[in-house]
Amino acid sequence: MAEFGRRKWVIPGGRIPFHSTGREPDFTSRDELAVLNAGYSDTNLAITLFYPDREPVGPYELVVKARRTRRVRINDLIFPEAVPLDVDYAALIEADNPVVIQFTRVDTGHAETSWAGGIAFPSRG
Amino acid sequence: MGLDQGCHNWSGSLRFRPSRIEAPRTEQELASLVRAIAAQGRTLRPIGSAHSASPIIVTDDVLVSLDHLKGLYEHDERSQQVTFGAGTKLTEVGECLHSIGLAMPTFGDVATQTVAGAIGSGTHGSGRQLYNLSMVLIGGRLVTADGEVREVSFEQDPDFIRALRVSFGTLGVFSSMRLQLEPIYDLHRQEWCCQIDDCLSRLDEISRENRNIDLYWYPRCDEVNLRCLNPPGKEPDYNAFARLIDDRTGPSHKVIPKHSNLPHRFEEMEYALPAEAGLDCFRELRRRIKSKWRRSVAWRLLFRYIKADDTWLSEAHGRESVSISLHQNSSLPFWDYFTDLEPVFRDYGGRPHWAKKHTLRADDLRPLYPKWDDFMMLRRRMDPQGVFLTPYLKMLLDA
Repeated sequence: MAEFGRRKWVIPGGRIPFHSTGREPDFTSRDELAVLNAGYSDTNLAITLFYPDREPVGPYELVVKARRTRRVRINDLIFPEAVPLDVDYAALIEADNPVVIQFTRVDTGHAETSWAGGIAFPSRG
Repeated sequence: MGLDQGCHNWSGSLRFRPSRIEAPRTEQELASLVRAIAAQGRTLRPIGSAHSASPIIVTDDVLVSLDHLKGLYEHDERSQQVTFGAGTKLTEVGECLHSIGLAMPTFGDVATQTVAGAIGSGTHGSGRQLYNLSMVLIGGRLVTADGEVREVSFEQDPDFIRALRVSFGTLGVFSSMRLQLEPIYDLHRQEWCCQIDDCLSRLDEISRENRNIDLYWYPRCDEVNLRCLNPPGKEPDYNAFARLIDDRTGPSHKVIPKHSNLPHRFEEMEYALPAEAGLDCFRELRRRIKSKWRRSVAWRLLFRYIKADDTWLSEAHGRESVSISLHQNSSLPFWDYFTDLEPVFRDYGGRPHWAKKHTLRADDLRPLYPKWDDFMMLRRRMDPQGVFLTPYLKMLLDA
């Protein structure tokens, strides 16, 4: 299980929904990463965000401990810069060890909660 | 800091070009410099570690670094009094004091400022029983506007020290500062994360049962980080409504400042309010941020407590206070956000932090400080020629 996953992942269709309903943080609209590090070493992630009309921002640096999962809300990232809500972005995620990344969007803008889940794109590069 | 590139503050939002930068190696050199500047009809501005976000550090004339006037000059264990060079960094102060069994009563969230800069601008930590840092000042050696060196002390002239404590270099330039301190102590730092409503309903009680207490509110998820520091063995337990996210014990100078080495820059506006108005003001800020600013603002608000003091220009003069700080990444626009919320602070009787962003001028500030006129009269008497003034300080003080 030590070498499970990929070192590069891409999420091309990011856009954090602006409106939320319901008690937060459970019902905050969000883009969220779920990261699995099945290996035996802690893994550093470097996330670069790309936008339609300006230069990329990053790296946003995170650590996922060995043999652990970690959920990260894109909404909450502030270093080096807060991610704007309701704006298209793409995320390139580079890890120094293989990981598996799932991307989830939660949109509670209407009273009926809607969820959309999907796997990020793994690159062999 | 080189003149070829000009100077800038920590966040990078202030860029300016002094006519020259001086770094006297002794008190005598500092006094000679002030005499020469005064004789030439020019102005001189002391700078600490350039951490300030407000233009109190900005000058287009002579900038004076106190970097060489640093270190522990003398101490007396029995009276717990020490004298430091005015350019000593708070991080160095903490280490020096620890080695002789003494400690500051508290620190702010960072400790990279010089002792003169932190005291002179009213830097504070957080706790209902904790004064801002300036209250440890009980004397020192002050280079006045005529270039004379004056030994000052609380015992001889308490009102003068009350004026000097928060005067950001407008009454003179300290070469050394005498401080009243405490015996060394350890603190247990515990940080708790919880939903905002679960915190606010208990905040009054929480604020009274922790030695140091502040909270971050995160506008993008409505969660709170309660940061509590207490003597080991005297910690309250908040497991019933919060989860523990940081838990460590150490000497006070190691565990109170947390963000001294923050690699990313930010801008900050802070106002101090009467303690009883703090929560109402916070609730109004929160409503406005969630409805208007959440698209671009993810940075936390910082809510802190300051014990009332009698320092003439202290944020907490004459009233138990809370302070609320807004933050934004320095790479993002911040002025529209800050100035949209500034009227909320003012509606609650807020006083701006001297070293952070605000738009107030002398006419706005005068009604906020009962000792304002006394301070201005003293400043004019101490520096009739305006050696220690800059264009910004003239607007601020109506000088």
